[in-house]
Amino acid sequence: MSEALGRVVATERKPNTPHEFHFWTAIDSPVGIGTIVRVDGANPMEGQIPHIYGIVVEGFSYTDLQTPMHDVLGHDGLPTTAGYAATERAEIRLYTAAVLRQIPEEPLQPVPMGQVFLAEEADVQVALRMDSYLREGANTGIPIGVYRAGGTEAVIYLDADFLLGPEAAHLNITGVSGLATKTSAVEWLLASLFKYFPEDKGSIAAVCFNVKGPDLCYLDKPGKVEKSDDALYEKLGVEAKPFENVRYFAPYTAKGLALNTFRNNEALLDNVTPLTWGLREVLQFAEVLLNKDDIDAKSDALIDFITENVVDKEFSDPILSKKHRVQSFADLDAWFRDVLQAMEKKDGESWRTHHVATIRKVRNRLSNISTRCAGLVTDSGAVSDLPFGSFEDRTVYVVDVANLEEDAQDLIFARIVSKLREHLERRDLGVKHLVVFVDELNKYAPGDGSDTYVRKMLLDIAERGRYLGLVLFSAQQFRSQVHRRVVGNSGTSLFGRMDPDELSTPGYAVLSPATRTKLATLEKGQLMIRHPHFTQPIFVRFPRPAVMQGREGSELYPQANDVSLDAAILRALRPLDPTITLPWVQEITALFTEEEIIRARNATILARPDNVKAYFAAQFRKIIPAQAAPRPLAGSIKSAPENDPYGF
Amino acid sequence: MQVGNSSPDAASRTAIRLLMDWLPGASAVEGSADLDLGARADQPQLISAEIVEGETLGAIKVPGVTRTMVSEFGAFLDGIQKVRMIGRHFGVPLVLGTTGAAIRVRVNRRLVTWGGRPPKLEQKLYLPLRYLPQLSESLHARTPRKYGQFEVIDTSLADASGAFPSEHPTVLLERAMRAVDKHRDSLEDELAEAWCASTAAPLFVDGGISRNGRVASSMNAIGVIKSHFTLYVEGDALKTVVGLARGERSSVFQVTPRSRSEVMSWYLRLREPEGHDALWGLVRIEMSKCDNPTERADEISRWVLAESTPLALPDGRWDKMSYGIRDVEEFLRAIS
Repeated sequence: MSEALGRVVATERKPNTPHEFHFWTAIDSPVGIGTIVRVDGANPMEGQIPHIYGIVVEGFSYTDLQTPMHDVLGHDGLPTTAGYAATERAEIRLYTAAVLRQIPEEPLQPVPMGQVFLAEEADVQVALRMDSYLREGANTGIPIGVYRAGGTEAVIYLDADFLLGPEAAHLNITGVSGLATKTSAVEWLLASLFKYFPEDKGSIAAVCFNVKGPDLCYLDKPGKVEKSDDALYEKLGVEAKPFENVRYFAPYTAKGLALNTFRNNEALLDNVTPLTWGLREVLQFAEVLLNKDDIDAKSDALIDFITENVVDKEFSDPILSKKHRVQSFADLDAWFRDVLQAMEKKDGESWRTHHVATIRKVRNRLSNISTRCAGLVTDSGAVSDLPFGSFEDRTVYVVDVANLEEDAQDLIFARIVSKLREHLERRDLGVKHLVVFVDELNKYAPGDGSDTYVRKMLLDIAERGRYLGLVLFSAQQFRSQVHRRVVGNSGTSLFGRMDPDELSTPGYAVLSPATRTKLATLEKGQLMIRHPHFTQPIFVRFPRPAVMQGREGSELYPQANDVSLDAAILRALRPLDPTITLPWVQEITALFTEEEIIRARNATILARPDNVKAYFAAQFRKIIPAQAAPRPLAGSIKSAPENDPYGF
Repeated sequence: MQVGNSSPDAASRTAIRLLMDWLPGASAVEGSADLDLGARADQPQLISAEIVEGETLGAIKVPGVTRTMVSEFGAFLDGIQKVRMIGRHFGVPLVLGTTGAAIRVRVNRRLVTWGGRPPKLEQKLYLPLRYLPQLSESLHARTPRKYGQFEVIDTSLADASGAFPSEHPTVLLERAMRAVDKHRDSLEDELAEAWCASTAAPLFVDGGISRNGRVASSMNAIGVIKSHFTLYVEGDALKTVVGLARGERSSVFQVTPRSRSEVMSWYLRLREPEGHDALWGLVRIEMSKCDNPTERADEISRWVLAESTPLALPDGRWDKMSYGIRDVEEFLRAIS
């Protein structure tokens, strides 16, 4: 057993309670804010020596100096001479600790006087109630980091039952930007989760929405791991390596030539799948893109009518000029045009109970979608999507929406999460548990402002997701600005370095001033954790993720510039067939329009055929090369008759 | 005579319960308080002393006094006493005395308790057994003479002239206080002797060193006296002493008290006296006799001056008190 490093003290003014106690230590004792200590009571209770575990939340230091003026007088007002004093004043290090656990737990009494010891690894497990889920037979511990104090190094585990359900679920991370905390913590936690999530609990995968920067774009590439991180990886029992299974999804740019992602360097394209949706996919989520002014009851009724009766069906009406089969935005626009022209001819104000103004409004709004979400929504109706139904265990699916307009981001988020939810409800997603990571929660689920579709979805996941196995890992800079029900439903919360302004908001009032100060000055790689088993927040260190960081990746794999159509086709097809060359592409596509070429490319990428060249070429209509017609022999020009009345 | 007022502590309650069991008619004193020999029987006096540095007593500027001078004192010795009248048996005061002494050594500029000899702390009953015959009889057969946890000291023994103290309560109380005082001195002497026998570093002793022959002859014990009931100067010499400026000392003289050991001594002004009384910041220092009193007095004066920071405030004697001595007092107060 280690030596005592302090003694519990209590006075009438500063008494100990069942939840808080005070102790003093030697000046050079390795105790600080966040240190876990153990108090051994002096008197047994029902035959058992009480052990109290606490975490230091406040520290005080003072001397026997009655007033600062005495020090000034004592050194004649010269601070430099103070260092020459033969004796240092008697000084105290007095700490306040919040109780983590008392053993025995009943009767719950004020903390008794006793000696204070630095908690060892076994003590930390008991103090944080980790012993309940690290015991043989439970094994639901997921390493989150290493607690360090004095000579003690203890792995801190989260309980998978409280991180991914069914007991509690969801995780929220707060921290200032630019300190590589939020994204790094999630990357590290996913690696730990994939390693330690119990096999008997089923399969697990993650869908990460990359909403800004290239941070999540190189998860499959190894990054630099410092020696200190190596030691942490070893302690935590996780191999320092990039994710083995990662799949990327990104829509095209507005021009449709290149993928709109930081990962569009040719060397990385083999792992990037285009994300394109057609009319049907978008109409289901029209509400996401249309605000309340757009979607009144009448407009909603018309959109429903179109979805139910027009899209993907043979539609005819006596007033229309022809039968319509609407499969794309282009088809839909033609249908609208026909309807409106027919109404004009009839001079009617309504058609099938829909007023002409409503029809014009809905046409206008829906037509806009393909423009606002260009690159994602295709006129052609081609669909390239996440592999719903065949999600794989321990795989990360990254959806890169960083470069998209807000509308497109919202649409992608809403549709993907809805589809994930549907599949999880039907138990046919391919995995049993799914983590959805969303950064910038301030933006997607703000505490104030209008109620958006995306916010409603996030609330729904936060409140009901755990029953489905759908778990939200969310991050933001300002927790106080996120909807209370989203963060409130997060069973586990992580805090990186915090902005002092944020710390002054009421949500942090439960933390001691010293803990708040520590939060404002946390180093990279340090986190404060709140977890249902921990009665007080705990500080840990986690290793830098073993994946390539965004900045490094974007330097090593620079984003491709806009390229010509031929080059774009080459870049898209070469990962499928390395023998394809630019001259071959130019020869095959020479006679076709840009729209046809892009459609052929999209179809080929979607099909991923064995014979890429043949498949790609087969997408084009047959065109017989034009042959030069023989020039007719020019006849001699007859001279005008002399008596020609029109001659001049 | 009263210096503090506090409710009875656990020891006082235990002691009075014991006494009330053995002494029918004894009663507790409500609101008993610590007593002090503030009003001393000794009258302030001037005594001439033999000058051993020069012909007449002069003021000498201590050489080498700077802000950066270093003190060589390795430890500080002081004692405490608490005298509490916990009860009375008719007019006879029943006194509980607490005495303690400790040496605090300086390690890395911080003071810690000397491990060579643990601090002394004792609680005894100071009773005039001559006037408490029931107790006297019951104690007669006991060795040691103890009641419960408390040793009993008889304060009614005859003095050197063979006279017993009168039964006057004030006389008996003063006898008790002097006995406590003496007991404290003996504890301090015991520690000082142990230090001088085992350690080479100079010891800063609060008070004189002449009581104990071994201590008085040790080069390691330096006594610093803050009270001046007796001033070892007369006439012009007195004017010289009260006129000392900060950093000045008097010539070294020899103190030869009755029934005590001879030591060398001098006065030293620690703080500028302007605006204060004549004895402000004035201490008298005692050291063992030596062949080079001038050099030694200069050196020790520099050490004592260096010990004048940090201030011993909020102690009222801070003008003369070293911080190290205040630390010992606080330590003893904490454990007593």
